[in-house]
Amino acid sequence: MKKYFSITNALGAWAAVVIAFLFTPILFLVAMSFNEFKSIFKWTGFSTVWWSRMLDNTTLTSSVKVSIEVAVISTLLALVLGTLAGLTLARKPGKWTAGFVGVILLILVTPEIVDGAGQLSWFVRLGGPFREGLLPIVLVHTVFSSAVVTLIVRARVSGLDARLEEAAADLFATPTRAFWQITLPLVMPAVLSGGMLAFTLSLDNVVSTSFVSPAGVTTFPNYVFGLSGGIIRPEVAAMATLFIGATLMAVAIVALVLRRGGQSGSEIAATFTGN
Amino acid sequence: MAATLGAQPRQQRTWLRAPKFLLAIPSFVWYVFLFVVPVCLVIVNSFGRKVTGSPGKVDLSSPSLDRYHEVVSGSFASLLKQTMFTSILGTVLCLLISLPVAYLLAFKVGPKAKTAVLALLMVPFFANFLLRTLAWRIVLQPRGFVSNFLQSGHWFTFGQALRSGPIQILDTRTAVQIAIVYNYLPLMIFPLWVALDRVELHLREASKDLGANRIRTFLQVTLPLAGPGIVAGLILVFVPLSGDYVTAALLGGAKGNMIGAEVANQYFKAQDAASGSAIAVSLIISILLVLGVLATCFWFISKLLKANRAVAVVAR
Repeated sequence: MKKYFSITNALGAWAAVVIAFLFTPILFLVAMSFNEFKSIFKWTGFSTVWWSRMLDNTTLTSSVKVSIEVAVISTLLALVLGTLAGLTLARKPGKWTAGFVGVILLILVTPEIVDGAGQLSWFVRLGGPFREGLLPIVLVHTVFSSAVVTLIVRARVSGLDARLEEAAADLFATPTRAFWQITLPLVMPAVLSGGMLAFTLSLDNVVSTSFVSPAGVTTFPNYVFGLSGGIIRPEVAAMATLFIGATLMAVAIVALVLRRGGQSGSEIAATFTGN
Repeated sequence: MAATLGAQPRQQRTWLRAPKFLLAIPSFVWYVFLFVVPVCLVIVNSFGRKVTGSPGKVDLSSPSLDRYHEVVSGSFASLLKQTMFTSILGTVLCLLISLPVAYLLAFKVGPKAKTAVLALLMVPFFANFLLRTLAWRIVLQPRGFVSNFLQSGHWFTFGQALRSGPIQILDTRTAVQIAIVYNYLPLMIFPLWVALDRVELHLREASKDLGANRIRTFLQVTLPLAGPGIVAGLILVFVPLSGDYVTAALLGGAKGNMIGAEVANQYFKAQDAASGSAIAVSLIISILLVLGVLATCFWFISKLLKANRAVAVVAR
């Protein structure tokens, strides 16, 4: 006899509702990029005109450029800092580990508004390069993301057999060579997912960015945040769609690369979400 | 062979000469410069006084607790309470909504379906935070999707009461609460799933073999084992949520304000970094208080579960 009600079915139905809930606003935003009217809050008909007008809005495009530049630079910095720290935490533990991990955990649980407020006060005191250009934004973005990269790399290295590096040393590899030829390739999956997380965290950041942004420099999310309350034109929705689409594409590519490397879907999902 | 033996100790000596944490020093300096100093500065600034005309600067010549008096006696205290309420409710809702999904992912689906569901959940997780929050304005506006849906003919009895005019959800606390649950839901589902996933199947089977039913197995075997992961999930949702002001600023209007917005207001509109700092520190103290209460509750619950288990074992 077929069972129509089972716990699994009920849970599955609940999951479907949750996924629908999570997708609803995103789908509305995408749909509104094809609106004919000049606001995303009233649908009048289908049109692709805003997609072509998107590039004429120079404030919009330059904010996107700032976002991408900041994300690229801060990701590279976070990767260097986080990979070195993660490797050291896993391979050279000692009395210092507890304190260092403590700082990292504090970074992860401090509300961003507190960081942002403090960073603004600090940068105002320092002045000079800390109040102009992309530097202040890049710096504050690296704090959280390098902490995340550190934890991901540490988890990966802890799971690796230390004898692999010892074997390299036995085979006359210098420490530098062992790092480039043995350790780094083995840690690469963690570096890759950490880098992707760092990149999206940078693109997502609004709060500390709004605190430290110098006059005249705006990231895309902060530009949109500044528009809220007034009319938002469909070109912003079009750019948002492009933005979300590109992010998801990058996530998918990294996931595929990791899949090729032999990781399961679950493992990839766990690392991507920082678990 | 002799060369290998000769090379080995020399390498070790180079490592011994440098401190063990040599390669972590850049990160350490980075965190001190960009995290520790700024956060300490917030604490120090909260005892100061505003300097008119220069945002971010604070006069520290006569330190006092005046800013905290203003926080406690002014409208900030009630806003802080309201923020904590919204955050606790949001975290609890996230937990209740996520738990069945995480349970399904961990125990009830095959690897293929699991990968598919995880991939779907990745989309909102990686879609830009601000953009997906803004999108709720489209969904919730009067004459928007939710309003029209609730007023459509399918809800005969319900509909009458709701049909008097467009439903105002936007720019209220409800809108903020919905969007907060929405924004932090993926951040809850993934840690919960990972925590449950690490509970070994044979432990749950053993519980079943010993005569425990589903609910009992969940409460007395699965939940305690997944406990630390669940607590981590709760903290990682509650803390950023209570400091979040973007969601409230986008959807709450004047009624749905959260305390984080007040910090930003003090810095940018009032140009009063001292008051802003005092509010930020009060926020941290409130968060720590709530976490303290939570820790006590968990301690109590785990005692209770253990006590129950002991009785069950004796009865058997």
